[in-house]
Amino acid sequence: MAANGGGTRLAIGCEDGSVKLFQVVPGGIQFEKNLDRQKGRVLCLSWHPLGTHIAAGSIDFIRVLDVRSGRTVQRIMVNYHVSKPKKRECVVWSIAFLSDGTVVSSDSFGRVQFWDWERGTLLESHTVSTSAVLSLAVSEKEDSIVVGTSTGATYQFQLLPVKAGGQEKRWVRTKPFQYHTHDVRAVAHSPTALISGGLDAQLVIRPLMEKVQRKGYEAVLRKVTFPHRCLVSCARKARLLLFQFSQHLELWRLGSTNETGKDGEVLNVCRMPEHLLQLKSKGPEHIYCSCVSPCGSWVAYCTASRFHIYRVQHEGDSVSVKKVPGVPKLLLPAYQLQCASDSGRLFVASDRGSVHVLQLLEPGGCKHLHTLRPPAGTAEAVYLLASSADGNWLAAVSGDWEIHVYSLKHFKHHCAVPMYGCAVSALAIHPATNNLVIAYADQQLFEFSIPEKQYTAWSRTVQNGGLHKAWLERDTPITHIAFNPQNPAHILLHDVYMFCVLDKSLPLPDASTPLFNQSALKQLPEPARQRQLHAFKICKKFQPLLFAELLEENRLVLVERPLADIRAQLPPPVQQQPFGT
Amino acid sequence: RHLPAVSLSAAPAAGGRRLGEGGEGAEGAAVGVREGGAAAVPAGPPSPPDPDDEEAPEELSFGAAAAAAQSERQLAGEAARRHRELLKEKRRRRQELFAEQKRRKLLPEALLQELAQPGHRSEKQSEGHVLKQVKQDKARGARSKGNYTAMHLKDQSLTGLHQQTAKDFVYSHLYGPGTNRTTNEFFSLANKKDPVKKAAVQFVDKSWGLEKKQKATKFKKHWIAMKM
Repeated sequence: MAANGGGTRLAIGCEDGSVKLFQVVPGGIQFEKNLDRQKGRVLCLSWHPLGTHIAAGSIDFIRVLDVRSGRTVQRIMVNYHVSKPKKRECVVWSIAFLSDGTVVSSDSFGRVQFWDWERGTLLESHTVSTSAVLSLAVSEKEDSIVVGTSTGATYQFQLLPVKAGGQEKRWVRTKPFQYHTHDVRAVAHSPTALISGGLDAQLVIRPLMEKVQRKGYEAVLRKVTFPHRCLVSCARKARLLLFQFSQHLELWRLGSTNETGKDGEVLNVCRMPEHLLQLKSKGPEHIYCSCVSPCGSWVAYCTASRFHIYRVQHEGDSVSVKKVPGVPKLLLPAYQLQCASDSGRLFVASDRGSVHVLQLLEPGGCKHLHTLRPPAGTAEAVYLLASSADGNWLAAVSGDWEIHVYSLKHFKHHCAVPMYGCAVSALAIHPATNNLVIAYADQQLFEFSIPEKQYTAWSRTVQNGGLHKAWLERDTPITHIAFNPQNPAHILLHDVYMFCVLDKSLPLPDASTPLFNQSALKQLPEPARQRQLHAFKICKKFQPLLFAELLEENRLVLVERPLADIRAQLPPPVQQQPFGT
Repeated sequence: RHLPAVSLSAAPAAGGRRLGEGGEGAEGAAVGVREGGAAAVPAGPPSPPDPDDEEAPEELSFGAAAAAAQSERQLAGEAARRHRELLKEKRRRRQELFAEQKRRKLLPEALLQELAQPGHRSEKQSEGHVLKQVKQDKARGARSKGNYTAMHLKDQSLTGLHQQTAKDFVYSHLYGPGTNRTTNEFFSLANKKDPVKKAAVQFVDKSWGLEKKQKATKFKKHWIAMKM
C-alpha cells in the first residue's frame, strides 16, 4: 500500500497481481479504478513523486504502471543472471521511485539495485548481505537511502560525485550499522537521522553526524524498547492492577504481607498475587487504551473500531464479568480512557479536542452525560487525561500540545495552560492542592495551579534555576505521575530506568551536586546527610520499569518487564557467524 | 542337368532358407535361377565367357513356381507376424512396468478410497475457486494416520483464506527452508538460573527421540515374549 505525494490517492497492491487505486475523501477512501493486472502477487509499491507512475515489485520482476492509462509500461526481470537449474525465486521486498526516473529495489538475494525504468536497464547493483533486504527508505532530498536487512544490519547509501567536484554522481554504500539482533522490517529517513524498527522490539534512532548541529546529547544513538505511554492502570482502593497487552487485558490482585523489616530486606508474602481475569479482545485490532476504576468494578478498553465496558463483580475470591450494553457509538475513536476517582464517571478522549463524559450506572449501564470541547476548536485529538480527586476538574492534552482544563461541576472550559513548545508525556492533578503537575517530553517539569490559573511559586523556582543536567539527559520520558496520600509535598515520577520521589520542601540541586546521591547519602551520618539532601530522590534499582504508584499504608507498587522475557518470545533470527571461519 | 556351380553356392548364402529334402531340386533350381539372375545384375567383374551361359535357362512349370512363391509369401508372413508379436509383447511388458511403478508411487488403496469419497480439502487448492461443501468426518471408522483434517469451507470466509495464503507466503520466504534461521533450542536459560549452575548449551535433552525409544521398548518386550 502506498499513498501518493499529496496524500490524495492510495494505491493498493493485491495478492492476485492487480493494483487498485483509491481516492482519499473526507471520512474514508473511495474506489477509483483498477490498474493493469499481471500474474504474481504485488509485494511493494511506490509512487513517482509527480504521481504519474507507480512502480510495483513482485516475485522475480518489477513493473512500472502508468496511472492515467492503467497499463504496464515497463516490466523488468530481476532474476536474470542465474541459470535455469539453480534458479531460486527472487522476492522484491521493497521498492522506491525517485524523481529522476530511477527505481530502487531491494530483494531476497540481499541486493539493492538501481534501474532506469524507461529503458528497463540496470544502472547499479550492490550486494549488501547474504540474507534478504527487507525495507528501504529514501530521504526527502533523494541523496541518501537507508536499507534494513534480515540479519539486523542497516546500511546507508549516498549519492556521491565520482570525482571531487565532478558532475557525475554514483550511489555508494557508505555506512553499515548493526543495532538489531533480528530482522529490520521497517526503516525511515528523517532529515537528520536514520530510524529503524526491528523484530527485536527495538526502535533505533541513529542521528547522522554530518547533519547534527550540536555534537552534544542530540547526536546520541537512541534505542526505544517500550512505548512512551502508560500500559498499566491501578485500582488504588481495590489494590488491583490492569495490564494492557496488544490483544488481551489481565487483571491481577496484589499480594500482601504481614511482616515488617528494614531497608533492603525481602519480606515473605502471606497472600500471593492472583491472576483474576484475562479479557481477550475480539478481532485482529490491537487494544489502544484501557483503564480500571479505583474501586475495581469497571474495566473499559477500546480498539480502533470497538469500545467495551465491563462490570466486574468480586464475590469473595472469585470474579465474574458482565459486558455493559448500550455503549454510545459516537465515542469512537477513543485515544485515552480515565476513570473518575469516585468510580462514577468515565472520561473518554476523542478527536477534535473533545472529551466525552460517561456516567457509569450501578447495576451495569452507562449514559453519555456531556462532551467537553476547547473554545477555539482544534483538529487534533486528545491523547492524555487527568482528573482531580474531588471530581471537579479535568485536564486534557491534545495533539497540538495545548492543555485545557475543564470544570466538571458546570461542564465548561476553565482555562488553558500557557503553551510550551513540546509534547506532554504525563500529567496529574494533586488531590489536596489541585495543582496540575506536567512532565514534558524534553524532561521539563511544571506545576500549574488550577484554582489560581497560573504557575505555582515552586514551579517558577524550578524554571529559574533550571533542572539538573543529569535529569535533562535521561533517555526516556516520564510516563506516570503519582502522589503520596500521607505527604502532600511529595510527587512520585518514573520513567523506564528510574523512579523518583520529588520532595518540594527540600532545596533543589544545583549544577555541581550529583543528582543520584541516594546511595552516597546512606553512608553519611545524620547531620551531614541533612546538609546534602536535595529534592530529587532517585532509585534505579528496578529496571525496566513500566509503572509505579503509591498505595495506602505506605505501600509502593512497581511493575517491571524483564527484557529476558521479551527476548525469549522473539521469532528465530538469522544465523550469523561472528568470529572468523 | 548341369547347374552352374556359381549359382548353387550362392543360394544358401543369399537366401538362408532351409529347403526341404524333396523339393530340393526344383526349388533349388528356382532359387538358383533367381539368385543367378540377381547376382548377375550388380555387374561384377566380367567373367570369362562360359560355354554354359549360352544355354537357355531351365524351364519351370507354372504350378511349381506358384507354389514356391506362395510358400515364400507364407514364410515371410509368418516371420513378420512373429516380429509383430515380439514387439507387442515388449510393449505390453513395458506398460505393465509403468503401471506397477505408478501404483507404487501413489498412496495405498485404502487411503485413496477414503480421500476420493468426501473430497478432502487441501490448503493450496482451495484458493478461492473450489467452494464445495465438505462434510465433517467425525464418525468415520478406522482412520489412517495422516496430517490432514476435514472442515466446512463455508465456515471460513474467502478473505480469511487469502490472508492465510499471504501470511504463509511471507512466513515461508522469511522463515522457511533455505533461510538460515537459528533457534535457541539448545540453550537453556534455566540451567543458568538454577541454584546449581550448569552449562547453558544443552547437549543432550531427555525428550529427544521419544518415539524411537518407545518403539524400541515395545520391540524388546515383543522379542522377549517371542523367545519364551
